[in-house]
Amino acid sequence: MIEIFTLAFLMLVSIASVIAAFKAIIEKDMVRAIVYSAIQSAMYALIFYVLMAPDIVLVYIPVSVGITPAILLFVTKKTERYDGD
Amino acid sequence: MEFPIIVASVIVVSLYVNLGIALYGIFARPSLVKKLLAITILSDTANAFAVLVGYRWPRTGTPQPPVLMNTTNYNESIKYYVEHAVDPLPQALVLTAIVIGLAVTLFIAFIIIQYYRLHGTVDVRKTKALSR
Amino acid sequence: MKKSEVCVIVSIIIFIFSLAYITSLGGLGYLPPVDVRKLAQIYLSSTYNPFEPTNTSSGYESVTAIVWDFRGLDTFFETAVFYGAIIASIAVYRGVSISTKKKPIGMSPIAKTITRLSTVLIPTVAASIAFHGHLTPGGGFQAGSVATVVIVLIVMVFGLRKVILKGLTKPKILLLRSLGLVGIGLTAIGLVLAGLVIGVNAYIFQNQAKPIAHISYPMWIDDILVGGSLLLFNLFEFVAVMAGFALVLMLFSIEEEEVRKVIK
Repeated sequence: MIEIFTLAFLMLVSIASVIAAFKAIIEKDMVRAIVYSAIQSAMYALIFYVLMAPDIVLVYIPVSVGITPAILLFVTKKTERYDGD
Repeated sequence: MEFPIIVASVIVVSLYVNLGIALYGIFARPSLVKKLLAITILSDTANAFAVLVGYRWPRTGTPQPPVLMNTTNYNESIKYYVEHAVDPLPQALVLTAIVIGLAVTLFIAFIIIQYYRLHGTVDVRKTKALSR
Repeated sequence: MKKSEVCVIVSIIIFIFSLAYITSLGGLGYLPPVDVRKLAQIYLSSTYNPFEPTNTSSGYESVTAIVWDFRGLDTFFETAVFYGAIIASIAVYRGVSISTKKKPIGMSPIAKTITRLSTVLIPTVAASIAFHGHLTPGGGFQAGSVATVVIVLIVMVFGLRKVILKGLTKPKILLLRSLGLVGIGLTAIGLVLAGLVIGVNAYIFQNQAKPIAHISYPMWIDDILVGGSLLLFNLFEFVAVMAGFALVLMLFSIEEEEVRKVIK
């Protein structure tokens, strides 16, 4: 029973990662796009956890949910906020 | 219990779709910052693929992370461990790839900031118009 | 939608479908497999194996054993790539000095208090991840990334000038990072040096005794599994990763006016 629940959760998380990545790419406002990208990274962290990779979860959460959005926010602040016209 | 084929297909298909979305971001979006964001999504997806290839579903019981947990009787616990643990090699490669990828992302971010200082924009189309 | 955009989308779809077809033909196979590959079986069975003393690594954790023992040279050169990327980033900011005359700007007292608490808690977690890297999931890379988060927090909440006034300057962090890298190098050739002194054969990146090289790092110290060189490598990599990222993230938060003075 617990396995079925875990696998259904895995499916939901992977679909949610697709939605978050799509929103991150088509969003014009860079700040919101970075937040969507962080959501997608969190979904990937859950995928890694269910796929039995605790080492990668430990390195992936600070890097992709913490530091990469911080860097992109710094870059956005120093350059332009809106993508495209 | 068998690993259901629908779960495997949903994960693989969603990873391929993410790959396509990231490629679209790299090719078609004009902002360099958005291109950098798309590159991070692309590398994350490639790493997730590597980890998925290393996953396994043993005949009996459930898979186990590659950490030797039961250490009372080494003879039996190592046998059980080899039969149930997932492949550690892709995880080791992905582990270093994530950290090195972050360092390279930092470097590209510096290059983008420098580009903005020199050209006054991060939009590649506007830069093309300027250089004419 | 423009014509060029349609072209891009169609070509991406064709590329993804062909990639999926090729990988499903030969690369991926049936997912997930029942057995792991032969190489993975060897790695798993020799991660900690007291019955084959010349073929074993020395921790309970297979990933750390692969990263720093079985494929140690790979990780060494990846650390070199990491070093190169950080050096290249610093080169962009060459000659930029940060004036500490202006008053440091920070966030509200609530944010500052929370950050003061996390300044103790997060490095503790990072150190425990680094020291237990050979026993539980974790290691040098993970601990370094976790500890970098606290640097980002401090720089964002207290402001860069406050950090520099407190004594965390660029040369000090560079020194810390070089110390970590020198530690990694010395651990890698430690047994070779020891072998030269006492006159026996040894390899670089050797952890436990091998058939024709009979010296090894200590695996057990007084009923505690210390993991030989794995513990040292994790510790030094923790320092190197943390200091490298801290340096670059501090450079990121310099104001643009200071940089434009130099570039012109």
